[in-house]
Amino acid sequence: MERIKLASVICAAGLALAGCGSGDDAAAPTASETTHAGHTTTETETTQTETAPAAAVTVRILVRDGGPVGGLARPKVSQDDRVVLVVDADVSGDVHLHGYDLEQSVAPGDPARIRFRATIPGRFEIELHAQPEIIVGELTVEP
Amino acid sequence: MLAHGIGGVRDLPVPESFFFSTAAVVLVVSFVLLGVLWQRPLLERHADGRRLPRFLQTVLLSRALRVALQAASAALFVLVLATALFGTTIEVLNFAPTFVYVIFWIGMPALSVLFGNVWRVLSPWRAMADGAAWAIAQAGREPRALLPPPVGVGRYPAAAALFAFVALELAYQRPADPRVLGVAIALYTYWALGGMAIYGRDAWTRQGEGFAVAFSLLARIAPFAVRDGVVVLRWPLTGLAGSERIRGTLGFVAVMLGSTSFDGFSRTSTWQNLLADVRLDLVGQSQRTIDLVLTLVNALGLAAFVLAVALTYLTAVAWARRLVHATRSLVPDFVQPLVPVAFAYLVAHYFSLFALQGQFIVLLASDPFGRGWDLLGTANFAPNLTIVSPETVWYVQVVSLTLGHVAGLAVAHDRAVALFEDRRDALRSQYPMLALMVLYTVGGLWLLSQG
Repeated sequence: MERIKLASVICAAGLALAGCGSGDDAAAPTASETTHAGHTTTETETTQTETAPAAAVTVRILVRDGGPVGGLARPKVSQDDRVVLVVDADVSGDVHLHGYDLEQSVAPGDPARIRFRATIPGRFEIELHAQPEIIVGELTVEP
Repeated sequence: MLAHGIGGVRDLPVPESFFFSTAAVVLVVSFVLLGVLWQRPLLERHADGRRLPRFLQTVLLSRALRVALQAASAALFVLVLATALFGTTIEVLNFAPTFVYVIFWIGMPALSVLFGNVWRVLSPWRAMADGAAWAIAQAGREPRALLPPPVGVGRYPAAAALFAFVALELAYQRPADPRVLGVAIALYTYWALGGMAIYGRDAWTRQGEGFAVAFSLLARIAPFAVRDGVVVLRWPLTGLAGSERIRGTLGFVAVMLGSTSFDGFSRTSTWQNLLADVRLDLVGQSQRTIDLVLTLVNALGLAAFVLAVALTYLTAVAWARRLVHATRSLVPDFVQPLVPVAFAYLVAHYFSLFALQGQFIVLLASDPFGRGWDLLGTANFAPNLTIVSPETVWYVQVVSLTLGHVAGLAVAHDRAVALFEDRRDALRSQYPMLALMVLYTVGGLWLLSQG
């Protein structure tokens, strides 16, 4: 009997922990907001690539009413291309290109321009960190 | 939404030419194998292996080594939990997410397949439980389980635990959020330690601790094993001989296979477009509502894949049973052949993640909390994200799936010839298994080839 009691105490403690778990969960989005605030733009990096010659591939994506116009964008570029990723949005936030980990702020009438050299092959998510978050599309860099 | 927990670089789809040629090879190899494979069971006979030399035995099984490894593992666990709970909330600058989803979740299966069930001495939970048992014994009392092992539920508790983990990794919207991960680790620790306290360390390790069950199943592939207290070297796969009668094993393996294939499917444009549509329907809702709905949609997809694996298996063995007029169910007999397939899926889906995102652990180790430290002098290490070319990734993917397929067929074949005296019955029982394996392999390949 004693043992069964002890066993149920352990279970109850687990449930209590699960309770605090959901509390912490609620705080999670705020935590990531501060992340983006402290993590903005990589101006220096982008201006450096700007000085380089060679024609750049421009990828333009329009975001309206909470999503990319015409569905998720799936632009393709070739490895080592110079790319300008332009995201024109009707909300304010940060455009984030995963993998290359480049971020650039965006606001209505002030599109984000991310300039970079596509050195890493693969597929990379383009996300707009706004309230709420928007998945803009996926950039494919082909070898 | 990041697929598989963390990591920004996704593999390019396997080109169609790779897909078709590999699928063709898989089919041809299968039929050839079916015809020429051995006629008497081999695996079980070789499972005892060969004893390693005495001095190696002494070192490998020494108490000092075990205690040292367990202490190191417990210390690492404390570091991971502390960084998750108190380190930076920036996912890529915190040690915990990369350690859990990349180093641990991809590294441990690989270690298990190479060296056997090393989780026994590397599990931090087992280390803590062993420590507690030791302390109780020191106090002059006998460490005893509170309740007898829950034999009736078999491995279902472990399957549920693993499902919870893969749901966090693949369905939840912020799997790499350090705080969320910290709470998840704390919860899992309660599950593991509470279970061991209630049902005993060995029983819960076999039935409830999801990672322990996963790694011990994968370790059956390994060329090393501990048998009757002796370390043996043996042919790979011989540990997979025989039937697996513990209930819930199919459910467990289905979670392993289903989760990896859902990870592949969740990256296809089909699923991504569906999620984008759901997002559009939720415009104007709060971030929490959106996250919750998307998590639920993903969880449903994940559960559907797990169910699909279980149902296709059950269909195949039911068909096999009819073909050979077996008097009993064959469900326990052909589960183990799925283990190499599950490992092949893991390699195919996560090899590049390990090779690319895994490099970040070098710099994270110097600054685990993301505070600008440089403990080991590696904080400025620059990971090389072009270290594996897309071609290498494709080759690893098709080769691992093909090898997993062949290994699975061989294990199933061995079981069939052990089970049926009539060689024709043994062969007949293998047609459905062959169909199933081809389905899993070509299906897995197809998922990798989808844009």
